[in-house]
Amino acid sequence: MTRADVDPVELAVFQSAVHSIAEEMGAALRRTALSPNIKERRDYSCAVFDSRGRVIAMGDHMPVHLGSMPMSVLAAIEAIEFAPGDIAVLNDPYAGGTHLPDITMVLPVYQVKRDRAAFYVCNRAHHADVGGAHAGSMGPAREIFQEGIRIPPVRIVRAGEIDRDVLSLILLNVRTPREREGDLDSQIGACRVGEQRVHELVEKYGFMRAEALIEELLDYSQRLVRAQLREMPEGEFVAEDWLDDDGVSDEPRRIAVRLRFDPGAGELHADFAGSSAQVEGSVNAVRAITLSACFYVLRCLLPRDAPATAGILRPFTLTTVPGSIVDARPPAPVAGGNVETSQRIVDVLLRALAQAVPERVPAASAGTMSNLTIGGTDPRTGEAFTYYETTAGGMGARPGLDGISGVHTHMTNSLNTPIEALEYAYPFRMIRYAYRDGSGGAGKFRGGDGLIRELELLADAQVTLLADRRRFRPYGLEGGEDGAPGQAVVTQGETGSEKKLPGKTSLRLAKGDRLGIETPGGGGWGKRAR
Amino acid sequence: MRVAIDTGGTFTDCVYLADGRLQAVKVFSTPSDPSRAVMNGLARIGVDVSLELRHGTTVGTNTMLERTGARVAFVTTAGFEDTIAIGRQARASLYDWFAPAPVCLVPRELRFGVPERVSAEGEILRSPTGEELTALVEQVRASGAESVAISLLFSFTNPETECRVEAALGSLGIPVSVSHRILPEFREFERASTTVVNAYLAPRMESYLLQLEKRAKEQQSRARVDVMQSSGGIIAARLGAQEPVRTVLSGPAGGVIGACRVARWAGFERIIGFDMGGTSTDVFLADIAAGGAQLTRESVVGGVPIGLSMLDIHTAGAGGGSIACFDAGGMLRVGPESAGAEPGPICFGSGARATVTDADFLLGRLDAESFLGGGVQLHPERTEQLMCECKGPLATAEEFAAGIVRVVETQMEKAIRVISVERGHDPRAFTLVAFGGCGPLHACSLARSLRIPTVLIPALPGALSAVGILLADTVRDYSRTVMLPGDAIENLQAIFAELEQSAGEEFAAEGLDGTAHRSLDLRYRRQGYELNVEYDAQSPHRSLEAFHALHRRRYGFAQESRPVEIVNLRLRMIAAGESYAAEKRTLVPGNGRTALVTTRKIYFHGKFQESRIYRREALVPGDAIEGPALITEYTSATLLPPGCRAQVDGFDNLVIAVGGEVKE
Repeated sequence: MTRADVDPVELAVFQSAVHSIAEEMGAALRRTALSPNIKERRDYSCAVFDSRGRVIAMGDHMPVHLGSMPMSVLAAIEAIEFAPGDIAVLNDPYAGGTHLPDITMVLPVYQVKRDRAAFYVCNRAHHADVGGAHAGSMGPAREIFQEGIRIPPVRIVRAGEIDRDVLSLILLNVRTPREREGDLDSQIGACRVGEQRVHELVEKYGFMRAEALIEELLDYSQRLVRAQLREMPEGEFVAEDWLDDDGVSDEPRRIAVRLRFDPGAGELHADFAGSSAQVEGSVNAVRAITLSACFYVLRCLLPRDAPATAGILRPFTLTTVPGSIVDARPPAPVAGGNVETSQRIVDVLLRALAQAVPERVPAASAGTMSNLTIGGTDPRTGEAFTYYETTAGGMGARPGLDGISGVHTHMTNSLNTPIEALEYAYPFRMIRYAYRDGSGGAGKFRGGDGLIRELELLADAQVTLLADRRRFRPYGLEGGEDGAPGQAVVTQGETGSEKKLPGKTSLRLAKGDRLGIETPGGGGWGKRAR
Repeated sequence: MRVAIDTGGTFTDCVYLADGRLQAVKVFSTPSDPSRAVMNGLARIGVDVSLELRHGTTVGTNTMLERTGARVAFVTTAGFEDTIAIGRQARASLYDWFAPAPVCLVPRELRFGVPERVSAEGEILRSPTGEELTALVEQVRASGAESVAISLLFSFTNPETECRVEAALGSLGIPVSVSHRILPEFREFERASTTVVNAYLAPRMESYLLQLEKRAKEQQSRARVDVMQSSGGIIAARLGAQEPVRTVLSGPAGGVIGACRVARWAGFERIIGFDMGGTSTDVFLADIAAGGAQLTRESVVGGVPIGLSMLDIHTAGAGGGSIACFDAGGMLRVGPESAGAEPGPICFGSGARATVTDADFLLGRLDAESFLGGGVQLHPERTEQLMCECKGPLATAEEFAAGIVRVVETQMEKAIRVISVERGHDPRAFTLVAFGGCGPLHACSLARSLRIPTVLIPALPGALSAVGILLADTVRDYSRTVMLPGDAIENLQAIFAELEQSAGEEFAAEGLDGTAHRSLDLRYRRQGYELNVEYDAQSPHRSLEAFHALHRRRYGFAQESRPVEIVNLRLRMIAAGESYAAEKRTLVPGNGRTALVTTRKIYFHGKFQESRIYRREALVPGDAIEGPALITEYTSATLLPPGCRAQVDGFDNLVIAVGGEVKE
């Protein structure tokens, strides 16, 4: 039942209106950004929050960003005494961020003649470099201080004017300052586009009415989740999976979860006790990422067009051990926690969920974003460049459907850089981009195949790979076979000699060297018929 | 005589000019061979000596939606054969674990690689040998392909190799589509996808259009056949047959042009078009003073991206036949599932699930006597009873029906927001032009929620697409990618002149007198997307100023000091269409009494109110009607809520002043 004074119709109208604000911010960001990672790959997310920092709408962007953005808004509210016309910037994983390349902006939207923000609009974009020891800021660090510049919540725009002091400080600490400045401008523009639309919304509904509708929207999300949770079998479901290593030692790292469904109360509890302690390498996830992965899985249990709001998390409790790999503490490095550990957390949640409702859960997907960063000097221009790309793998087979090949799954949904955009922007030549045949796990339903992406360097460069699922393969379910593990090979230009790379590494390569990446296939579902 | 024919799902509309007035003829469509209906229509009209047939077709759209196109061989740079299937590597539905695999029109065994490479700078790094080309031709021949799409990496910077491959494959005697001619722009997937769509449609469209031309010529030896493009311009059927990807949205494009023309005569320059049919609704935005309807190069038709410039027609998956239900959270949802023609809405007699049409009927907004000319019998008691069973937590069937109407109108509102607000246009500055079977019924209420002050219901709302096709200009677009710094803006005259000369020659060869319109695609250096601004030949730097201003308005910032890049020069060649201007009749103030049929209760704002029912055909210019009222006609009905006032203008359009809600 709905609140007495809000009917289901008005609610639907309001939800559409808020959602389109987030989408519109995303479009502005993509159309104005400079770096291929944002303009072509759309590695960004936008969302709208109420006066208490609760998310009320998210664009259909990157799940790993979206679930963790509320922490950014709360951190900004806590740290800054906002005034109209301000915009906050931040990236510190230990104060509202996730990993350093993801730079977040928060703009408080003020009602006319009020001194408290009535809404917040927020966007987060992955910058191809934020400084640190490795070009692209995704290398095998031992401390967060090696991963790049850390930005606590500070104002980058004050009363409508860009704060040049803050901007210069950021730009001096990165390898590609001009591109960064352009992308930061786009983020500011996107915030303003969102602000304008929120003003129109408030003008249309009136502030009081909007507040009532927000409460109802959050309640509605909660009702949808509870309706799902009430249909779940009662009990505890335990699962574990592994990260190959942390990039420093060879030791596998465990992610473990205990899911407890309480259909009577319509509640779910997830406890990650038993997961490894935080590690020396960069695969540490801050708690925001773990929560983000849980949010994603809950959202996937809902109907396709259900709104993604803070209400989804109300019937859910999360327990993590501080100082563990799913709840890291400073100064642990975290670049890979966001992109690799987040996927493994989803894999573990799905493995547990599959015990409860096997017919609703796909087998493991690739489980790694196969992050590649390359930095150096472009001989065509003499300017520094930094490149970042993730390569999709196979999707796990679904009960009733084969997995899709070569598609981003779960916590990411970025696009590829078109080859014709890539070769314009960077001194590389693509050699091959193809499906990796036979890499999907066999089964009644086949896992999707991974991809092969091979490029030649046209300049000396520092190349960093951050990938997993080399040893522990994407699992099959119900008798389906595991997907093939990923691999990466460097072919030396001069000698033609080949070298297999570890999953997490950073090395200097020379002009003429070739790098081939093969991504894992998805797991199969069900026993293959004889 | 010029005759425009728009083939729809049920009817084929024919519109022509006789004695200076627009005339319309409706015949039933013949889906198995659409050209039969065309000939039937022509027979009804009676053709004189100089037939000029203009056609809007759904053959392309339907081929895409029904997946009945050709077996296409895709030829690309070796190593990249799978890129046509990999696409952009992202999933369409973020939170759906059970989403189907995306559509790829080329199965694996039909993808072929050529050992070749061109660099980003256009240098040929590797050329295929004669033997390699011969081997390719044999492979494609053996594959049984019916059509070929060639799209090599960087062919838009240097088409030489693509031309060689084309020449080699020409020996197969099947249609060959070549990417640097179809879409000479960067982003290999979108270019290849567009080329593949062309190849996919080529055999069928070619035979359809050539068949049509042949039949027309049988009737009349000097007949000329033209076809409507998705961009809103007319081209010769022969060219349409070569590049059928340009005609996928041929019919809806006619609606855009028709709405623009009608609106301009009536004195409205900025319009939002709203064409609501049975299963879907098309919306678009046009600022006639700024060159008409918006164009986009990011269309997706039948799940396949098309990168060509097409009218920005946004389709919402809801219409009169959309089904309503409550979801698990208790929210009322309408569509995308539709009752279609079978079983149809409850009120038609066999459906059992509530649709928008049922809601309209229950609320008194459909006229049982005149519905489709009385051709469909409506069932009031059945509707009442079944709607009651579906009403969920709502108190009455009427409340349920009113809720369905509001939810579906919200979806329409959202669709209009996508093409207006999301593109930086304030709907309050526009007039809503409503047509299609259901458009006029929902227009006033929709206008109210978007705060659009005026609604225009054209005369002949059911045949508006055909009107647009009849009156459309002949348009062809030419472009040149230049990638020059902003400073070069003063030196573009020569390139424009060159483009203009070849375009002029092409038009002259067809006996057309074209006018050139020049524009520029500009962006800040290293951005990925451009903004199109008019090229000011007198003082070109004004185009730069226009760019900064537009950028600030759309995207929240602009920086005059930042380097600008000139990406494309665009030339649009236009040969004016029929120089018809509707005759404006004198207004005689009246109250439409002679058109008044009866009064009946219609539901507005929570209760039934006595409302007058009028026959549109009997209204004359100058008649003014106050809501609440319903104005019925053959294929549609216009609902006038309390507070709205309609006046018949000198062109037989209904011009509605949308007032605020009247609540008692």
